[in-house]
Amino acid sequence: MTDAILTVNNLTKNYGDNHILKGICMTVGKGEVISVIGASGSGKSTMLRCLNLLEKPTGGEILYHGNNIQDKKFDVHRYRAEVGMVFQNFNLFDNMTALQNCCVGQIKVLKRNKHQAREVAMKYLDKVGMTQYINARPSQLSGGQKQRVAIARALCMNPEVILFDEPTSALDPEMVGEVLAVMTDLARSGLTMIVVTHEMAFARDVSTRVVFMDNGVIAEEGSPDVIFTNPSEQRTRQFLARVL
Amino acid sequence: MKRVLLLIAVAVIALSATGMFSTGNTAFALSSEDDFQTVTDRGVLRVGMEAGYAPYNYRQTTDTNGAVAISNQNGEFANGYDVKVAKYIAEQMGVTLEVYALEWDSLINALNAGTIDSIIAGMSPTEERKKSIDFSDKYYESNLVIVVRKDGKYKDATQLDDFQGANIVAQRGTFHVDALSQIRTVTDAEQYDTFALMITALKSNVIDGYVAEEPGAIADCAANSELTYIQLKNNENGFTASEGDTQLAVGLRKNSSLTSRINAILATLDEDARAVMMQEAIDQQPVESVELGFFGNVAYIIGKYWTKILEGVGTTVLVSIIGTLAGMVIGLLVGFVRTLPEARTKAGKIWQKIYNFLLSAYVEIFRGTPMMVQAMVIYWGYALVNNGVTMNTFVAGLLIVSINTGAYIAEIVRGGINSLDKGQFEGAFAIGMTHRQTMSCVILPQTIRNILPAVSNEFVINIKDTSVLSVLAGFIDLFAVGNIIILGTYRTFEAYLIISVVYFILTFSITRLLRLLERKLNGKANYSLYNSDIVSETPATAKGGIIND
Ligand SMILES: Nc1ncnc2c1ncn2[C@@H]1O[C@H](COP(=O)(O)OP(=O)(O)OP(=O)(O)O)[C@@H](O)[C@H]1O
Ligand SMILES: [Mg+2]
Repeated sequence: MTDAILTVNNLTKNYGDNHILKGICMTVGKGEVISVIGASGSGKSTMLRCLNLLEKPTGGEILYHGNNIQDKKFDVHRYRAEVGMVFQNFNLFDNMTALQNCCVGQIKVLKRNKHQAREVAMKYLDKVGMTQYINARPSQLSGGQKQRVAIARALCMNPEVILFDEPTSALDPEMVGEVLAVMTDLARSGLTMIVVTHEMAFARDVSTRVVFMDNGVIAEEGSPDVIFTNPSEQRTRQFLARVL
Repeated sequence: MKRVLLLIAVAVIALSATGMFSTGNTAFALSSEDDFQTVTDRGVLRVGMEAGYAPYNYRQTTDTNGAVAISNQNGEFANGYDVKVAKYIAEQMGVTLEVYALEWDSLINALNAGTIDSIIAGMSPTEERKKSIDFSDKYYESNLVIVVRKDGKYKDATQLDDFQGANIVAQRGTFHVDALSQIRTVTDAEQYDTFALMITALKSNVIDGYVAEEPGAIADCAANSELTYIQLKNNENGFTASEGDTQLAVGLRKNSSLTSRINAILATLDEDARAVMMQEAIDQQPVESVELGFFGNVAYIIGKYWTKILEGVGTTVLVSIIGTLAGMVIGLLVGFVRTLPEARTKAGKIWQKIYNFLLSAYVEIFRGTPMMVQAMVIYWGYALVNNGVTMNTFVAGLLIVSINTGAYIAEIVRGGINSLDKGQFEGAFAIGMTHRQTMSCVILPQTIRNILPAVSNEFVINIKDTSVLSVLAGFIDLFAVGNIIILGTYRTFEAYLIISVVYFILTFSITRLLRLLERKLNGKANYSLYNSDIVSETPATAKGGIIND
């Protein structure tokens, strides 16, 4: 397990007396595409946000290539650049154009110069099919277009892993396809991804592993085939029966 | 407990506000016994007057007829009977004369604060005033008269009784009011602040007449051909006036060593010499009889005073711009500090509580008190702490506008930041940006954009509200220029009308300009689709300036 990118050991998270995560254990290897499924409120987002420290874990440890990310000496900003995140609500910077959204992190965090940053940005905006819209501001784009720019913004940091938190949940149905197509493309190209999703087709057809969360723990995990056709846990079966 | 804390905070703020500008000299008590020594050592006698009470003291724009430059107002000169007497006193003492133009109500303050050494301002040695300052022997004595219209109902009056039932007014805060109350009760509305206003009121038939001292009446009638005055001998057919009221004397600090010196000098100035001086003062008064009809008067005022008006516009706009910008910087700082996430360590939390408390106190106090009052507290507090050295009024004005605007904008900024979506922070953190980078690249620009309409509004308010700073003598903004015009022309309506038009032009054009700026900051309403071929062929020459274009 030494080549794991992320290792999560017994991760817990409380909000006051409210125990949200009750001991999560998981490893993420290179090139894996992990779909995290589970009922609303089961703690999927919370776990994902703990992984890049948008939430401070209450207990347990998260290792990145063997280094504890909560160590005092650990460079959180550099780490966040290497573990990208795509949000349900896009969170594009409203004061910048699509192109500027993709450049600012490269320039400020990775210290690339403007020309390098622009070149990289154009490459990934092209990859998500948004080259035409580089001068548009977020308020001038559709939801699907915004999410594609957000994915390009994450890619521009050349991350090792990208975390997706329900990237299509805020989209009108006709725009879900364009974003899923981009994500499928990324998965095929070998990018390591953790995707919290309600899109069961994506989980089944694209991911290499499915993690089912229930009530703050990982109830079951396995290959999509096993989880979707022959889950061993009763609650997995119940959940799938409800959503499929 | 809370109240005690609040009091401490107020004290801290007040002290730091005045302490900031103190030059280290914080002796509160002034020893007036050294006054004469101080004046001779300095070689300068500082005299305070209104420079707006003809013929005792008035202004002119040149130094003709022996006028003396007003030390706290660039390009203005004072002359008149008081100036002539002051010059005589200074000459006899062998020192130079400096004249300070101050509001009537602040003369005694300024004397006691040490800003000036003496008041020679047509001031009478009343019992009331004698409680706070000393007076020299009299340097003039006059009769109280009533100024009326030549064509009015009272033009043939000969004694005070003839004015029963007439609408006569008097200058607020003077013994004229007491004298007038001998014939009837005087309401607030029957007390005017300046003679210029009384003249305007009389000429437009708002009043039937006003009480004046004879020399003033002579001057007013010389400048306004439709006016005349009814001579009334004190205590005979006129007002019952005490000597302390009809005499004029030099105001000095209590127990000042200057008093005896000045008495000795005044003793050498006999009745005849005084009469000659008064006649000169009346004859030399530079008031033009401007009676060219409404449009003629307006044209005349603009022609004569346009440089002064521009100067006033300059001061108003400059103080408003710098004050608003400085206020915006203060407001952004305060707003940011007050929206910082909660500190994690215990010491950090306590520290955060303290400065958040102080900052709220600042915001609440400056939003909760009138700017005019703040101006007085800061200006006179500074003079008191610094032994009578006053702040440059322009600097004082700037400071007050900045601090005041800062308090308002701090609240606007707080709202502006709080209204931003939390996702803007998270989006930045998620790509590894630090708190500072997030603030400067993402949050600050959006906050500024969001608060811009409110800041523009503050700017326009400042343009208008800086007029209250004319309580700081020597702060010559547009409003103060209006008053200067009135003192020189007696055309109150025309002067204020011109000034209000200029104010309107200013605020109107500035509002439009700021709207343009807002629209520009919004970015283009439309974006053009980008032709990707150009990029892949020549990436290096493609339009640069990605982040700051
Ligand atoms: N800041 C917070 N304070 C208190 N409770 C919180 C906070 N954030 C989340 N929770 C709670 O934690 C639980 C798990 O939330 P989380 O967002 O991780 O669920 P989820 O699995 O992502 O659900 P969904 O599918 O609806 O997004 C929820 O019950 C939620 O109310
Ligand atoms: Mg969620």
